[in-house]
Amino acid sequence: MAATRAAPHACEIFTSLEYGPVPESHACALAWLDTQDRCLGHYVNGKWLKPEHRNSVPCQDPITGENLASCLQAQAKDVAAAVEAARTAFKSWSAQPGVVRGQHLTRLAKVIQKHQRLLWTLESLVTGRVVREVRDGDVQLAQQLLHYHAIQASTQEEALAGWEPMGVIGLILPPTFSFLEMMWRICPALAMGCTVVALVPPTSPTPLLLAQLAGELGSFPGILNVISGPASLGPILASQPAIQKVAFCGALEGGLRLLIQESVWDEFMRRLQERMGRLRSGQGLDGAVDMGTRGAAACDLAQRFVHEAQSQGAQVFQAGDVPPKSPFYPPTLVSNLPPASPCAQAEVPWPVVVASPFRTAKEALAVANGTPRGGSASVWSERLGQALELGYGLQMGTVWINAHNLRDPSVPTGGCKESGCSWHGGPDGLYEYLRPSRTPIQVSCLSKNMNYDTFGLAVPSTLPAGPEIGPSPAPPYGLFVGGRFQAPGARSSRPIQDSSGNLHGYVAEGGAKDIRGAVEAAHQAAPGWAGQSPGARAGLLWALAAALERRKSTLASRLERQGVELKAAEAEVELSARRLRAWGARAQAQGHTLQVSGLRGPVLRLREPLGVLAVVCPDEWPLLAFVSLLAPALACGNTVVMVPSAACPLLALEVCQDMATLFPAGLANVVTGDRDHLTRCLALHQDVQALWYFGSAQ
Amino acid sequence: YNFCGRGLSKYLSWISKIQVNHPAVLRRAEQIQARRTVKKEWQAAWLLKAVTFIDLTTLSGDDTSSNIQRLCYKAKYPIREDLLKALNMHDKGITTAAVCVYPARVCDAVRALKAAGCNIPVASVATGFPAGQTHLKTRLEEIRLAVEDGATEIDVVINRSLVLTGQWEALYDEIRQFRKACGEAHLKTILATGELGSLTNVYKASMIAMMAGSDFIKTSTGKETVNATFPVAIVMLRAIRDFFWKTGNKIGFKPAGGIRSAKDSLAWLSLVKEELGDEWLKPELFRIGASTLLSDIERQIYHHVTGRYAAYHDLPMS
Repeated sequence: MAATRAAPHACEIFTSLEYGPVPESHACALAWLDTQDRCLGHYVNGKWLKPEHRNSVPCQDPITGENLASCLQAQAKDVAAAVEAARTAFKSWSAQPGVVRGQHLTRLAKVIQKHQRLLWTLESLVTGRVVREVRDGDVQLAQQLLHYHAIQASTQEEALAGWEPMGVIGLILPPTFSFLEMMWRICPALAMGCTVVALVPPTSPTPLLLAQLAGELGSFPGILNVISGPASLGPILASQPAIQKVAFCGALEGGLRLLIQESVWDEFMRRLQERMGRLRSGQGLDGAVDMGTRGAAACDLAQRFVHEAQSQGAQVFQAGDVPPKSPFYPPTLVSNLPPASPCAQAEVPWPVVVASPFRTAKEALAVANGTPRGGSASVWSERLGQALELGYGLQMGTVWINAHNLRDPSVPTGGCKESGCSWHGGPDGLYEYLRPSRTPIQVSCLSKNMNYDTFGLAVPSTLPAGPEIGPSPAPPYGLFVGGRFQAPGARSSRPIQDSSGNLHGYVAEGGAKDIRGAVEAAHQAAPGWAGQSPGARAGLLWALAAALERRKSTLASRLERQGVELKAAEAEVELSARRLRAWGARAQAQGHTLQVSGLRGPVLRLREPLGVLAVVCPDEWPLLAFVSLLAPALACGNTVVMVPSAACPLLALEVCQDMATLFPAGLANVVTGDRDHLTRCLALHQDVQALWYFGSAQ
Repeated sequence: YNFCGRGLSKYLSWISKIQVNHPAVLRRAEQIQARRTVKKEWQAAWLLKAVTFIDLTTLSGDDTSSNIQRLCYKAKYPIREDLLKALNMHDKGITTAAVCVYPARVCDAVRALKAAGCNIPVASVATGFPAGQTHLKTRLEEIRLAVEDGATEIDVVINRSLVLTGQWEALYDEIRQFRKACGEAHLKTILATGELGSLTNVYKASMIAMMAGSDFIKTSTGKETVNATFPVAIVMLRAIRDFFWKTGNKIGFKPAGGIRSAKDSLAWLSLVKEELGDEWLKPELFRIGASTLLSDIERQIYHHVTGRYAAYHDLPMS
């Protein structure tokens, strides 16, 4: 009984009052691995798939290094089989009414609840993360996600009428990830009616367990398929013709940056170091530790980072009750790192924290926004006004005030800049997996002859091609940049032909320098335009619509020269004006929303303009497409650089004349020229926030 | 250490600028409870240690010498002998830290402890406990009388109206007077945090109490609607730590009211261990004001030793 064993111990513990281990047994995880004979395959279409003749990779416990199981590495054939299964499942799954899908998701949530101990034990054992984090955080949030999206699914027919699910979604996950990240992407996809094929690295069996739980629900076996395989299969998955969209999740480092105001620097450092001394690190399955481990590779990465930081002159402080050998790395605080050093720009690995001082709020913003990462941040201050100002100014996906890392299924998460361009969760996140009804399905094709290096480099030279026959006065010659027509940097032109093959006119040939100038002009106009009230923006768009109508006859005759009938041409002009007005109205209606979610405190969703948008217009509908793409970008507060239709940019130039008088300089810039070349320039330009491309398949 | 004249006003101006970030404290409070647990023999050892921190308290209108006598006996023998023997702790002299009673019952308590052959201190509440709304003159006289009767520890309540109106200097003066009236006796200052209104006020009151010479700061009387909670405790512990960093003096901490289960007591022990460290886990610097807590701890130890759950009648009442 406990009595005799406790005897020698109790006295010592009485004096020392140390913490003992509180281990959670991982017997259930091992038992599950045993059901698969410690050899895990793929889970496709509701069944385990173990194809022959495949390599296998061991899955190891990150702390002890012992082999837990071996996982098969997939090959291209397996990927194709999984995608086919998902595609067949999609037909029936998307045809279900939303309520049925919602109920299915709720059943999945209940199954997770019943098996949660197995789930968290397996995850903690395999990834080395602290069991408390997985149990109280991840698993609960996973269930909440399922419930939230079940409700979204059941109201989908009314709330999202006019949108239909995209199809089969491919999901590519990085070597170190939590199954929660997978859930953030799977739940909205399944709820909206898509089916999923997930490619996971072979060292994480948790997604396979999840797929098994989903498959055992019975009714829709093929909606979630999991293949374990190397990252090189990613492009193969993406190029499958049935895959409509690929969600890519990159590797996330877990380190943090701290910005501390100088006046409280000393006091803060002292307190932080004191607190670090109390952290305990140990086996993930121990209930009383603060931190687990993320494997030997992560430990090495952290060590290298710290050494480099030290060699650049930083001070390093390490503390905490940590087992000395790898793969445990003590919590580390790095300070006095010179901001220009390479370490200051790199991502901070876990469990390192880099602290830097700042003097004023403005400086803090400059430092925080000065990195290419834009995931999330938290601001701590007692003064609400100042905290909100900082919150508005930070270019991050999510900003928490006086809190950190609060997640809720109804609040969208995403990032800015290099941290990502998609949003998950909340009503906005659903649109990631939807597209407007009745749009044609695009078959993706991976061009085998695609050579990124040479794409769009060469510019065909232009020679005089015959007399210009056109209505006079011809539109002004030049590129419309910075509010006026300028000559192109390359000083050459290209001919534009009308529908009968005659020369319609010459337009300027834009090049890399012109793109650069255009983007700069757009950036200069951006803050002013973003700061305009929605009403002002609406007013400008309406003024442009009126100007178009005044110009109707010129525009119609130009369209006629391109082979459009007069009636159709006039209709096109009217439709363009109407679209401008419609977007103007939307600009006024758009606003920020205040949301109440399960978290403590309200959530403010700000719709911010992206910045500078580049748009490459399609060849067809030279006027309508131009206007239809210009209007939404401007309505939301962005400035644009546009490459108009290659077939007939003259119409765009006509519109530019009106823009010259109505719009502030730099708001909209139009660069004509070789489309491929300009697209290349825009894509390679790192200060363009987004690029809309409607050109060729290449 | 003696704060007077310019030194005092400098400290007072520093204190008045302090602000406590409420959401951060709440978050830390939630974390503490979830992050540390102890099981098996560690739990048994910790519970025994917790027993040695208890100020066994009885503050009811119907206290008489008979229940005081029972209480003092329980203070000397808090856990059943055979259970202690099973843990090999029967010869370590495990008793509670003190016995806490109303001033009128101090004589009874001293007599009962003497008869039991025990030198545990007797703590008396004073200064118009629990509301403190009596004249200063009578409050000071209460302290003197209790000390005369044999109390070696005095638990005073501060004047909440001074805190709520921001009269920090007046608060400092009052507590200094209490200190003088105590003489050699140990002074515990009760802040009545449930009535102070905000965490910032709690921090400031803690600082003033420590500057004025308290040996302990105590969260509450146990008679308010909200007594000892983790957020308030975190603020007070941080104040103690800051005071130690500034002056080198270690002041003790006592939560009181609402601590009823053994599990709670373990959470409090780990809170102090996390925030202040092992040096504060001694009866000289940490007390728990409780009455029914002791029986719950005894039941837990019974379960650890025998593997069975005891009924109430299996263990001696206090």
